[in-house]
Amino acid sequence: MAVRSLRARIAIFFLVLLVLVQGIAAILVARANAQVARETIDLTLAQGERIFQRLLAQNQARLEQGASILSADFAFRQAVATGSTGTILSVLRNHGGRLGASAMMLISLDRVVRADTQDESRAGKPFAFPRLIDEAANQGTATAVVVLGSRPYQLVIVPVLAPEPIAWVGLAFEVNDDFAREMRNLTGLEVSFLSRPAPGAAWTLHASTLEAASRNALPAALPPEGFAGRTSELDVAGVAYQSRETDLRTATGAPLAAVLQRPLAEGLLPFKRIDDIFFGLAITSLVAFALGSLVIARGITGPVQRLAEGAKRVQQGDYSHPVEVEQRDEIGELAVSFNHMLDGIKSREAEILRLAYEDGLTALPNRAMFHVQLEQAILTARRAGEPLTVMLLDLDRFKAINDTLGHPVGDQVLREVALRVRSVLRESDIVSRLGGDEFAVLLASGDSERAPQVAAKVLKALEKRIVIDGQSMDLGASIGLATFPQHGEDGAALVRAADVAMYVAKRNMGSVATYDPGHDERRREHLTMLGELRSAVENDELVLHYQPKMTLATMKVGAVEALVRWDHPVRGFVPPGEFIPFAEQTGYISAITYWVLRRAVKQCGEWHRKGLQLRVSVNISARDLRSGESLVLAITEALRAEEVPASLLCLEITESGLMDDPASAQATLRRIRDLGVAMSIDDYGTGYSSLAYIKQLPVNELKIDRTFVSGMEVDGRNAAIVRSTIELGHNLGLLVVAEGVETDHELVELKRFGCDVAQGYRFARPMPSGGLEAWLARN
Amino acid sequence: MASRLAVLLPACAAFVVRAAVAASIEAQVQDAAGKPVADAVVYATPASGPQEARTAKAVDVAQADREFVPYVSVIQTGTSVAFPNRDPMQHHVYSFSPAKSFEIKLYTGRSPGEVRFDKPGVVTLGCNIHDWMIAYILVVSTPYFARTDEQGRAQLRDLPAGAYELRAWHPGQRKAAAPSAVVLEAQAHQPAAYVIDVAPRKPRYKPPLDRLKY
Repeated sequence: MAVRSLRARIAIFFLVLLVLVQGIAAILVARANAQVARETIDLTLAQGERIFQRLLAQNQARLEQGASILSADFAFRQAVATGSTGTILSVLRNHGGRLGASAMMLISLDRVVRADTQDESRAGKPFAFPRLIDEAANQGTATAVVVLGSRPYQLVIVPVLAPEPIAWVGLAFEVNDDFAREMRNLTGLEVSFLSRPAPGAAWTLHASTLEAASRNALPAALPPEGFAGRTSELDVAGVAYQSRETDLRTATGAPLAAVLQRPLAEGLLPFKRIDDIFFGLAITSLVAFALGSLVIARGITGPVQRLAEGAKRVQQGDYSHPVEVEQRDEIGELAVSFNHMLDGIKSREAEILRLAYEDGLTALPNRAMFHVQLEQAILTARRAGEPLTVMLLDLDRFKAINDTLGHPVGDQVLREVALRVRSVLRESDIVSRLGGDEFAVLLASGDSERAPQVAAKVLKALEKRIVIDGQSMDLGASIGLATFPQHGEDGAALVRAADVAMYVAKRNMGSVATYDPGHDERRREHLTMLGELRSAVENDELVLHYQPKMTLATMKVGAVEALVRWDHPVRGFVPPGEFIPFAEQTGYISAITYWVLRRAVKQCGEWHRKGLQLRVSVNISARDLRSGESLVLAITEALRAEEVPASLLCLEITESGLMDDPASAQATLRRIRDLGVAMSIDDYGTGYSSLAYIKQLPVNELKIDRTFVSGMEVDGRNAAIVRSTIELGHNLGLLVVAEGVETDHELVELKRFGCDVAQGYRFARPMPSGGLEAWLARN
Repeated sequence: MASRLAVLLPACAAFVVRAAVAASIEAQVQDAAGKPVADAVVYATPASGPQEARTAKAVDVAQADREFVPYVSVIQTGTSVAFPNRDPMQHHVYSFSPAKSFEIKLYTGRSPGEVRFDKPGVVTLGCNIHDWMIAYILVVSTPYFARTDEQGRAQLRDLPAGAYELRAWHPGQRKAAAPSAVVLEAQAHQPAAYVIDVAPRKPRYKPPLDRLKY
């Protein structure tokens, strides 16, 4: 396992380093010590061996001297020369006893044993070691180690002189444990004597200073080839001995060796003390080192760990605990920087949170915050079993304010609205701006009874005229209400329900609507309708009807307006009011527009080729206008395909459509006018367009909204509006068209006011192309 | 037989000594290397049998300068030998030889008594307090004997004519020389030559006087 802790790594690194160094030093020292110890023992052994040999020689000389003195004793000589065998034996025993000889023997000059104190049966037999006699004859005395019976002896041969040799006397001194001990006392070495019948045969131990166990194990431990003259390490009964072998001179040449030994441990003893001290020192320094490195490592890693813990806290969102490090070193600086960073993160996160959950303009909670609060409120409401109401509020005509007075004014309006809404609510109610001109209110304890009252209060607060930068303006709002739990079980469902209710309110101009499941029914129908509408376009279920536009001066039809009709295979005839607004909402209107455009241009081309010069008007929505270039392309393409002069096509755009995005609308309109296509402002009077704006538009025609025309008969004010509008149009150089002309009175009035063109049931309903041709033929 | 000790008689095969009033034998003894051997004894035993000494004339084997003088003596059986001590210190003369075993305990000056040698044979003399001192007395049963000089010569005189067994001996001889039979005529002058394989006399350590403490 990898060690992750820095502290442990530092400590381990240094410990391993120290152990390595100490270990190597220990090995080197131990090796050198062992080497020195061995050499010392070798030296001791070699010295011991020299001493041993010297001792042996001295001992031999002593024995020989003793033997010589003995053999020179007059009585001894006399007894030997003249005595009987019994006398000789007793004198041998007696005089041998003086020297401490283990055995004595008398050998005649012809080398026959005459008497033997150890074994009388040897008498009369040839002496076993004649070579010794030869040597004694030459040198006066001779000494060698011999094995008599099964024991080794130092055998000294001296002549019996009277005064020339008359016999040989042999003195045998047993090589026994006492002798070995004596040698040990003088050499300081363990001494053992071993013999074997021939080189390579098994050793037999005769005498030793070793303990019984080692004594028994020694013969087997000796290498069969021997190791005379060099030091060898022998393992004797589990104890290591440095050993040397000294071959003793024997009478027969059969190997007899003295093994001198010193336990290795004894030689190592002084070095053992050094080793112990070294080991103690190593352990002490290791412990000191371990503790020291731990302390230092803790000094480093402790603060680092606190920093790491601090960072972890920050990661978990806890900014309340700065890291506390008292040190003034680099780590202390790091901690100070860390705490500064912490403060930075804390304030930035607070700002981010504020931005994330607060609407920057109104300082109200934003959509995200509203949803969080809504979910919490729902949980609380569910537990308490209390109702809760979501109120969605959408300002009417806010876009127009933005467009005409500019965004800074729009923003101030929104702030004012926020203040007013807030002011009429309880503290516990939550107001939030969802975006644009849409606000949401969460009535914490709002049941379905209180909610409409609150909505009414809000509307009342907004009714008061707002004055900004000297400009006063009226505001209206549509409010949708949805109550938990009957309108929705969760936040999303509630908001959707409130949204549906709000659109209902907007459509109905009713200002406040409470959610009704029927609203959703409508929605579902709409969805079905969308699918059907799509297939209608594809299956040519749509048809174009044309309504004549009568030039009042000539009472001739110079143009027609193409109006789309839907002949539904099941529902039958679907009025445009049922599906056109819907198509506008869903964006499907473009497909319808392009279909109408192509079909109308095609029809226009047919009529043109028949010699029927009719300008065909096509309605264009605001959305179509926004698509810009693709609309221009579609027009160009349609005209080119049907080879229709551009002047035979007229596009009708509603006043409100033009107001959606005036700048881009203006640019697109210019492109279309440059093609040579005529343009007309539809439903004029319903929007809020200023004359200054109208003046800039590249249009040819102004169509007065039908509500003004049809109201002329009952309301003088409408007639005045129609009249002034006609005058206005003429002043701007525009052709003025009146829609929805149904009665003769209206026609008379329009003629009187100087209106250029009229359109309506007074002349004809919209008709299929064939019907129109027939109608034209009739009139 | 003649390998080591060869009795070499130049006219050996047909050598007959005619019996006369007195004959003599001129003997020459040398070792294997041809060097003359001193202190060898040549003696002739009459074929008639051993003869005891007729006179009791004593022979001296003195001790001088801590040595026996002479080194080799030859006497006829029945002769007495005196051991006069001419040294300032005492001597203890002894012999364990089968021919004559005796001892004369510590004494100075004249020998406390003479020793009579009755049996033929070699008597080896020693001194119990001076181990290096050694001397030999050859006891023979004939009055005809002589000891070789430095030139290895020995002369036997006044031998009556007759048959003899002639022998040579030396204390260092490795093997006894075989006897030879000779018949001497009167007035004959008989030469004889011997080669005796003699071991060289071993020098024995004789400590200097001033160090002598015993």
